[in-house]
Amino acid sequence: MSIELPLDEEQRDALQELLNISMGQAANSLAQLIETKIDISIPKISAVTPTELYSLLFETQNALYTRQSFLGDIHGEVMSVLSRRGLVEVATLMDYDEPLSKEDTQEIILELCNILAGACLAGLSEQLELTTNLNMPTLFQPDKTNFDELQWQHSLVMEVQFVITVSSFSMRVVFCLDDESLKRMKNTLDELLG
Amino acid sequence: MSISVLVADDSKLSRRSVIRSLPQDLDYDITEATNGKEAIEALKSGFFSLLLLDLTMPEVDGVGVLEYLHEQQEKPNVIVISADFQPEKQKIVMALGAKRFLRKPLDKEELAMALFELGML
Repeated sequence: MSIELPLDEEQRDALQELLNISMGQAANSLAQLIETKIDISIPKISAVTPTELYSLLFETQNALYTRQSFLGDIHGEVMSVLSRRGLVEVATLMDYDEPLSKEDTQEIILELCNILAGACLAGLSEQLELTTNLNMPTLFQPDKTNFDELQWQHSLVMEVQFVITVSSFSMRVVFCLDDESLKRMKNTLDELLG
Repeated sequence: MSISVLVADDSKLSRRSVIRSLPQDLDYDITEATNGKEAIEALKSGFFSLLLLDLTMPEVDGVGVLEYLHEQQEKPNVIVISADFQPEKQKIVMALGAKRFLRKPLDKEELAMALFELGML
């Protein structure tokens, strides 16, 4: 079952551009930190049911998952999927020593979530002139989580991907929004387009 | 006298934002292009003193437009406005003759400063 996208063509285009800009800012801050080029995907925007959200997130390959909620003018949740592959190489670029302890790994994951997911949300909010506060990320396992219990039953999903080619590392960031926040965002987009 | 400006960006939102960021006290004759191909066509058919150029566009991208202009005698001052501003990108663009590289979201003050430095204000 697919849900119709609750945005018109112009709103979708505008949101995509805003995400693009936010991703550029996020990628640049990480690129400066690790002195490595980062590729960014074209943002994907869709509307999904909880089951679809699960399949969108879950990867057959060994991956790490985090979620963090945000509050403010718009509410929602940011879920990130980080590849285990290449994580050690990225850690080395971030000046961690091998072998990584469990604590190191957690710290690096939190750091990447803050830099990429956090900066992306901050950039998006700033451009929309909305205030959002992002909570700390926590690790979770999608296959042990009941997606039907999520607050976002008909969530607007914005998906972006960062790739560090030299390390074969990739990270996907998925933003979920509730209906109320979606309305608010649509109004702001219309104002920007006017 | 008005300044003829070509704004090339595939996003309507960004074109609006760029046009709104132009210093208020001048007159502009603005043409909009929604991709690189349209931008090149506009450049062939008229004279522009300023090109505000996005990089990531369908058909022909911003680098393609710069490559076209590189071969031309008469060309506008080009200010690239891009979301992708990692150092490598900037190098390519400046080597192809762009005068300035500004980040998205565009800062009004930065644009005004660039225009001032280019002698357009």
